[in-house]
Amino acid sequence: MQGQADQITELIVRTGLKDRSAFDRLYEATSAKLFAICLRVLRDRGEAEDALQEVFVRVWTRADRFAASHHSPISWLAAIARNHCIDRLRARKAPARPVEEAFDLAADEPGPERLAELSSEGRRIDACMEELETDRAEAVRAAYVMGYSYEELAGRHGVPLNTMRTWLRRSLMKLKECLER
Amino acid sequence: MTGEAEDRMEDGGDELLAAEYVLGVLPLDARMAFAARLEAEPPLRALVAAWEIRLSPLNDDYGETAAPASAKAALDRRLFGGPAARETARPALWQSLAFWRGLAVAALASLAVVLIVPFTVPPPTEPSARFVAAMQADASPVRYVALYQSGTGMIDLTRLSGEPASGRDFELWLIEGGNAPRSLGVLPAGETARVPVSQQLASLVSSGATLAISDEPAGGSPTGAPTGAVLALGEMRGI
Repeated sequence: MQGQADQITELIVRTGLKDRSAFDRLYEATSAKLFAICLRVLRDRGEAEDALQEVFVRVWTRADRFAASHHSPISWLAAIARNHCIDRLRARKAPARPVEEAFDLAADEPGPERLAELSSEGRRIDACMEELETDRAEAVRAAYVMGYSYEELAGRHGVPLNTMRTWLRRSLMKLKECLER
Repeated sequence: MTGEAEDRMEDGGDELLAAEYVLGVLPLDARMAFAARLEAEPPLRALVAAWEIRLSPLNDDYGETAAPASAKAALDRRLFGGPAARETARPALWQSLAFWRGLAVAALASLAVVLIVPFTVPPPTEPSARFVAAMQADASPVRYVALYQSGTGMIDLTRLSGEPASGRDFELWLIEGGNAPRSLGVLPAGETARVPVSQQLASLVSSGATLAISDEPAGGSPTGAPTGAVLALGEMRGI
């Protein structure tokens, strides 16, 4: 795992030097992850493909900045992808999600098994999520993974927008405190 | 929670704003305003990076989905202007092309700054008005979001997709009421752009005004009016 991260780090650094074969290999190694992000957030295959291109254009032009960041290589790439896809999502004019998409959506969310699997990895963030009230932890996770806005989250949980904002803000600060403990 | 603590929470501060930005929950206008600040404020970027790293284990939830093979070919055409020539790299050629093109764009951009800066509005003292526009057009791949803040006198643009054809430029226009489009200048290359709005034009910015991007010869429209196709447009909404 560490070996793979080192390899990706090297590919990003070489991409920063405009080494095109390194860029090709970086794409091979990471496009499935970044495409999964685009697909999940945008929930539209065509748009996810466009977004993936934009993301890799940014990777190509920004790779020289990676060395100065403290990110792991995958978290750096994922941040570029999430940022771009959420920008697109928020810029949509029409109600972001037609009803029929809401059905796919349920299937997309990590099921109980997947959640258990993730928790069993004993990651620190899962332990910290468990310290939050269940519905708030779910809201944080759904916001991050699905790209829900405050408005959508408030609707899904049946609480006023301001309540949702307070929930999430408090949860985020608790998470931070727990992760730094 | 006491009312006072509630108020503090309401206020939030940059730490929380950075967390909300990374989480992705902010509406378009707040997101744009924060992104504009990010460009200018390194400490804010550090807060964002810290949250990106903190929440990054959640990326595992996404799993992996293979992208269609056509996506890489399209990406290569876009970045390198031809089908991928794997291993038989011709880096010298495209590198120098990209380099010279970049240099030309940079030169144009700095020229634009020289030309436009003297007309920039000093930040007014009255309360800041903000407008946001999501710009797109049917059958055009070009999409931008724009945020105008009277406090800065700037329009901050984020490109979501599309870029000028080789040897062409994007030009930004303000259309207000039934009047002819007024040029706000050629957009510099890059994902984000900051366009100053002259005092004269600032008075025309209002809810319902339209921002548009047209396809123009390099350096912008030679006539002062749009000459090429309108590639994206959007109405400004007060926020």
